[in-house]
Amino acid sequence: MTTHTTTPTVQAAPCVGARWQGNSVSAIRRRMVDRVATALCWAATVLVLLMLFSILFVLVRNGVGGLRWVTFVHVTLPPGQAGGLANAIVGSLIQTGLAVLIGAPVGLLVGIYLAEFTATDGKLINFVRFVSDLLLSAPSILVGLFIYMIVVVPSGHFSGLAGALALSMLVVPVVVRTTEDMLRLVPLAMREAAIALGAPRWRMILFVCLRAAREGVATGILLALARVSGETAPLLFTSLGNMNWSVAPGKPMASLPVTIYQYAGAAYADWTALAWTGALLITAGILMINITVRLGLGRNRK
Amino acid sequence: MTVAQNDAAPAAISVRNLDFYYGAHHALKNISIDFPQGQVTGMIGPSGCGKSTLLRVLNRMYDLYPGQRATGEVIFDGCNIIGPKVNLNVLRSRVGMVFQKPTPFPMSIYDNIAFGVRLHERLDRAAMEARVEDVLRRVALWPEVRDRLRDSAAALSGGQQQRLCIARTIATRPEVVLLDEPTSALDPVSTARIEELLDELKADFTIAIVTHNLQQAARCADQVAFFYMGEVVEVDSADRMFTTPREKRTQDYITGRFG
Repeated sequence: MTTHTTTPTVQAAPCVGARWQGNSVSAIRRRMVDRVATALCWAATVLVLLMLFSILFVLVRNGVGGLRWVTFVHVTLPPGQAGGLANAIVGSLIQTGLAVLIGAPVGLLVGIYLAEFTATDGKLINFVRFVSDLLLSAPSILVGLFIYMIVVVPSGHFSGLAGALALSMLVVPVVVRTTEDMLRLVPLAMREAAIALGAPRWRMILFVCLRAAREGVATGILLALARVSGETAPLLFTSLGNMNWSVAPGKPMASLPVTIYQYAGAAYADWTALAWTGALLITAGILMINITVRLGLGRNRK
Repeated sequence: MTVAQNDAAPAAISVRNLDFYYGAHHALKNISIDFPQGQVTGMIGPSGCGKSTLLRVLNRMYDLYPGQRATGEVIFDGCNIIGPKVNLNVLRSRVGMVFQKPTPFPMSIYDNIAFGVRLHERLDRAAMEARVEDVLRRVALWPEVRDRLRDSAAALSGGQQQRLCIARTIATRPEVVLLDEPTSALDPVSTARIEELLDELKADFTIAIVTHNLQQAARCADQVAFFYMGEVVEVDSADRMFTTPREKRTQDYITGRFG
């Protein structure tokens, strides 16, 4: 209630009549184009979701039966015997874990180099970025062959470590890309503020820039983990697979993707069932990583 | 070309015949100016006239960017700080800088201040806590943050963040504090608080402040320098500069005839 002036009342009429209609030819045409475009967008979205959920549905339907205790504690056995996937699950965890342990630090350092040392050596930086991008899109079977040539052949045997090395080559470019992108988002003013306090460059990078970018960098590492945990091709010529329990990195090692690859085409029903269960496990794992990333990013934006 | 006439205080920094280049662009042309100890020097002039460039010479910030170079002399504590073999990290701890936009680091309020101190001094926990409290009191932020020193500095308001940045800068105990339009991103109330703060700080620090706000220069500065097209046109006390400028270009600028 204002005490100084009295506000005059205003008559409101419904918004109808010639000036509200907009029925010209172009207006009708615009409305039609709008509806068609909206419908196409909806159709495309539904189609993609349908594919995704049909994959998930089939995976759950065929794989859920194998989610028994024995699957997690027993190693793979010959057909007809009640085997599990324990060696493949543990092998996958070891190899992807090692791959991230090896690849993430390298990727981190290269990403820092690309983002923070732009002033020093433009040509070299562009070359390194180009190579990293090439690696990002390189067929993963070539990476497997490469490690086969430089690790497996000289050492004379397949090994879990060779598999981890092959996977780490796929981790590196993903981490390089996200680290560089995230560091570039750190405002110049923040860097200058750290330098203006008398901070040497390495402290500025480590304690201010990386700290500002830490959620994004961590996301990149998780995405790299998700990316390699489903890779089969790089492991075929490197860690080979192992029907028995083996956690020694120097020996051939089982993994979920390779086991799925071997079991899915087999003529035995119990093997195919286990392949489905393995596929479900990998998918659930990747989904969980992605959900973690989403939740982490969501919290970060607030 | 008039060199500073202020003979009341000795110069903390003396700039002599300074030229500065951004690549081929000649941004500062044969500048000479004194920054008297314990006084506030306001630097005014239209955008792109070289005020901020001069600030960035005084703490060698331009060293971050290849292609930027300075020639001439900038005498601080008897040394030419734009010469070779200057320990830039030490120089920057002695000549601090506050930027236009508040730039709190992505860490707690406490660590924002401790970060700079740890670069130059080894303090035990109690001494560090005392230092943090002392500088936060000096920028009048202590009552507002004393209960949340461990919270992220990003949660503070813009004005609080800028006061935190000033606290962070004086925590390393510099002799000179450079401020590059420190209030242009702040509301009038926060601006007034920063201006009051400058008045208190000049007892301990020599201050150089770039501002586009002529009233601010008149209110805060003891000495004002008018920059135009990379030259220092006139340096004088704030009183004389705003009442009886000697140069026509100064007169035109402060009366709003160009800029």
